[in-house]
Amino acid sequence: MATPEVLLRETQKLTAELIAVGICTDQNFPAQVVQMDGAVTVGMSKTDGLAITLKNIPYADSYKVLAEERAFSMRFIDGGLIQILYTFRNNELVKHRLAFFPSPDLLEYQNNAEIYESDELYADITALNVVTTPMRFDFDRANFVEVNHPMCHLTIGQYRNCRIPVSAPLTPHAFVSFVLRSFYNTPFKNLCSDLSVISPKLVRTLSGLEHQQLYMQACGI
Amino acid sequence: MTIVVWGSTKKPVTSLRLAEAIEQNFPEEGMLYIGYPVLSASDGASSIDALWISPKRGLIIFHLVEGRDVGSYQEVQDEFANNLETRLRAHRALMQGRSLLAPPRVITYAPMVHIDANYDVSYPLTNDDNLITVLNATVWDRPDLFAAAHSVIQSISSIRQGRRRRTIHNQNSRGAVLKALEDSIANLDSRQSRAVIETVEGVQRIRGLAGSGKTIILALKAAYLHAQHPDWRIAVTFNTRSLKGQFRKYITDFVFEQTRDVPDWTKLQILNGWGAPGSDDRTGVYYQFCRANGVEFFDFSSARKKFGSTREFSGACQHALTSVNSPQKLFDVVLVDEAQDFGPEFLRLCYAALSVPKRLVYAYDELQSLTESTLPPPEELFGTDIEGRSLVTFAAPQPGQPSQDIILEKCYRNSRPVLASAHALGFGIYRNPDAKSGTGLIQMFDRSELWEDVGYSVVGGELKDGAKVSLSRTPHSSPEFLETPATVDQLIEFIVFNDPAEQAQWIADAIEKNIKQDELNHSDIIVINPDPLTTVKQVGAPRLLLFERGIQSHVAGVDTDSDVFFKSEDDSVAFTGIFRAKGNEAGMVYIMNAQDCYYSFGSLQKIRNQIFTAITRSKAWVKVLGFGPKMERLKEEFARIRDHDYRLDFTYPDEETRRFLKVVNRDLTAAEKRSIKGAAHNVRELAAELESGRLMLDDLPKGELRRLRELLDEKMRDGNA
Repeated sequence: MATPEVLLRETQKLTAELIAVGICTDQNFPAQVVQMDGAVTVGMSKTDGLAITLKNIPYADSYKVLAEERAFSMRFIDGGLIQILYTFRNNELVKHRLAFFPSPDLLEYQNNAEIYESDELYADITALNVVTTPMRFDFDRANFVEVNHPMCHLTIGQYRNCRIPVSAPLTPHAFVSFVLRSFYNTPFKNLCSDLSVISPKLVRTLSGLEHQQLYMQACGI
Repeated sequence: MTIVVWGSTKKPVTSLRLAEAIEQNFPEEGMLYIGYPVLSASDGASSIDALWISPKRGLIIFHLVEGRDVGSYQEVQDEFANNLETRLRAHRALMQGRSLLAPPRVITYAPMVHIDANYDVSYPLTNDDNLITVLNATVWDRPDLFAAAHSVIQSISSIRQGRRRRTIHNQNSRGAVLKALEDSIANLDSRQSRAVIETVEGVQRIRGLAGSGKTIILALKAAYLHAQHPDWRIAVTFNTRSLKGQFRKYITDFVFEQTRDVPDWTKLQILNGWGAPGSDDRTGVYYQFCRANGVEFFDFSSARKKFGSTREFSGACQHALTSVNSPQKLFDVVLVDEAQDFGPEFLRLCYAALSVPKRLVYAYDELQSLTESTLPPPEELFGTDIEGRSLVTFAAPQPGQPSQDIILEKCYRNSRPVLASAHALGFGIYRNPDAKSGTGLIQMFDRSELWEDVGYSVVGGELKDGAKVSLSRTPHSSPEFLETPATVDQLIEFIVFNDPAEQAQWIADAIEKNIKQDELNHSDIIVINPDPLTTVKQVGAPRLLLFERGIQSHVAGVDTDSDVFFKSEDDSVAFTGIFRAKGNEAGMVYIMNAQDCYYSFGSLQKIRNQIFTAITRSKAWVKVLGFGPKMERLKEEFARIRDHDYRLDFTYPDEETRRFLKVVNRDLTAAEKRSIKGAAHNVRELAAELESGRLMLDDLPKGELRRLRELLDEKMRDGNA
């Protein structure tokens, strides 16, 4: 079973590996924190300021706040931000927030285009026709409403009612390799397709009715 | 000698008279500011007429009266004194209990006024008859506080205070030495002060090496002009985006210090050179020009398509300039930092966007890229009018007139050994001689006097073509106190490792020690990887080791949010490529993979410029690190520099050699490199084929063979001669 300790170690290991290959250019040390109400959180130590992404302001502005407040686990080479946060209560996983906030534009590209064009790290992110879209895998045991609010779901592009069911909560590895494979495919293939797996898979939470809908299957669970 | 600094004044005649009187009669140390400082009062900010500060007489404010009526000059005196006192009292160093140790005195100087014998002596009133007597009677008993008081007048003290506080426990730690060093640079020197305050009704040029204070001068100048002329549209612009935060902070602090108010950012704009549509953050000078004049705007990639690589910005500016006949006047003052990075077209665009009298101030570093004449002289730079007269020429300096051309020869960032090493490596002064050119030199100025402009003195030989010369930095151009960090550790050191892993380990160990024992802050450290193309990957190894030890680090701005280089509130060590390192500085600089800067086919100038730029980021210590045989060679080259006691001893190349150096050492484009490598390969193949007998000479076209033979003969003869 996944424990806070295991998830923490996997997050640390992933961060270290992505620093080493150069994809992660800035980071906050992953931490395990006992909150005032007894809950145990794993991942980002600073959890204030997360609500900004829910406010009705342009994405570029909320991205900027996240970046300035350093409300991220990792920052990638192109400014993409990764948030990893798990919450446990009584040794049970009750919540997670695994989010990817891509940089809304690449201004720096203007200044040093040579770097971007000659480096495989940037191969996937410099295309002008890309539409940057934030996405979030949320797991929330308490607010479960069958079909309307699946326990684990994917929200794309901050649409209020976008909750694509996901069959089970995700490990840090499952989430990070999903982001890399989908949005940083060239560096992923060349540099980091063998990221460490430490945590066991998590338990399926999809309901029978949700199984009848279109859903995402989490890593064979 | 009292130095006079000319700010803007509405009383020029009396000011000049006052300046002459003080210059002639008080040959002591001191500064006389005309039209400075700006003081906040209940009814808004205004500048005082003049202020004289000297160790012997303290602070004397002058109230100048041009006409015959002194009016209620007592009130003016009270107001001047009270306002300046308010500012001085905020600084603890100038206070003892509640009494001010540097009380300002006020003298009204009214040369046209006849002074009644029974005037109020507590409000000194002078004309030419008694000015000197009154001044002589004014004595200050605390000359030791001169530097502190002067720093307040320059508003430098409050700007420096904004820096991160250092907590020092060990007086001999690196942190302690760095703190002492920072404290020593608390004042602007006289040239810097003049550059800040003196404003030309026209074009002004400020030249100086990196670390001579150009950025702070431009920031203070913008703030001073804004405080004096709140309605002027002022633009400050620069090339390195990470400077934006620095400018904003300096200007905010200075304006607040002077006027007790925040700058009006709609009037005083800090702009990128290029800019883009979108938010206020992104706008730039070029973008505003295009928008105001309805000219097509090019972004980077469209400019590259249209004007070609390396001509992107100059092409775009030129296009904008030629597309409009009488451009909109967007600004009353434009201040350009790092003008060498922009090229003439952008300066012309700024000039075109300025209202008459075209107050353009541009600062640049002649040696930023080591190649000469980064910018042409002003006569050429700004072009000519219809009758062929130069639009801009610099007048010879006149007393009472601000200087149009300022050279800041003192470098306050790098100590003499560090700066001289950077120059020696950049120019290849002690490089192993090249077989092709017979000299190790990589590049050299055509105008040899540039060496003296940038603060070198001839200590042996002669500075002329073909002659041996020995150049050295003097205590005047490289102040000696900058070398105090040498008491803790060598200022500059080269270390050779066996492999990248060993190098990474060493860096991580050194940084850990810096932070845990040496009392350095994270922001005192920069790690530079000179080759910009490999930076992100190369810095992974040491950053991983630091992460595992719980030491925060980041790669500086390869992303969108690159306006801020150091994250001021956070403890994080910056790793960076050479582009982002520009314009920034730190006490401890690590240069990794320096072997890449020893030799590179077709890019020798470029890589030597990289190591030059990297070394000159250091305020105190530099560690140049690398591995392999090229690093050994680089270390030997440095050893020769050190053995010459950081003098540059070489034979000044004559014109022919210089031309040759330019050709052989020029930076080749990728296509040129490919074609040279391809040709070399073909020749090798041909020789091997002929040798083996697989190919006969008869198989080859006769005409081409004959041409080749002639060419070879000719070139060989040239080579021998």
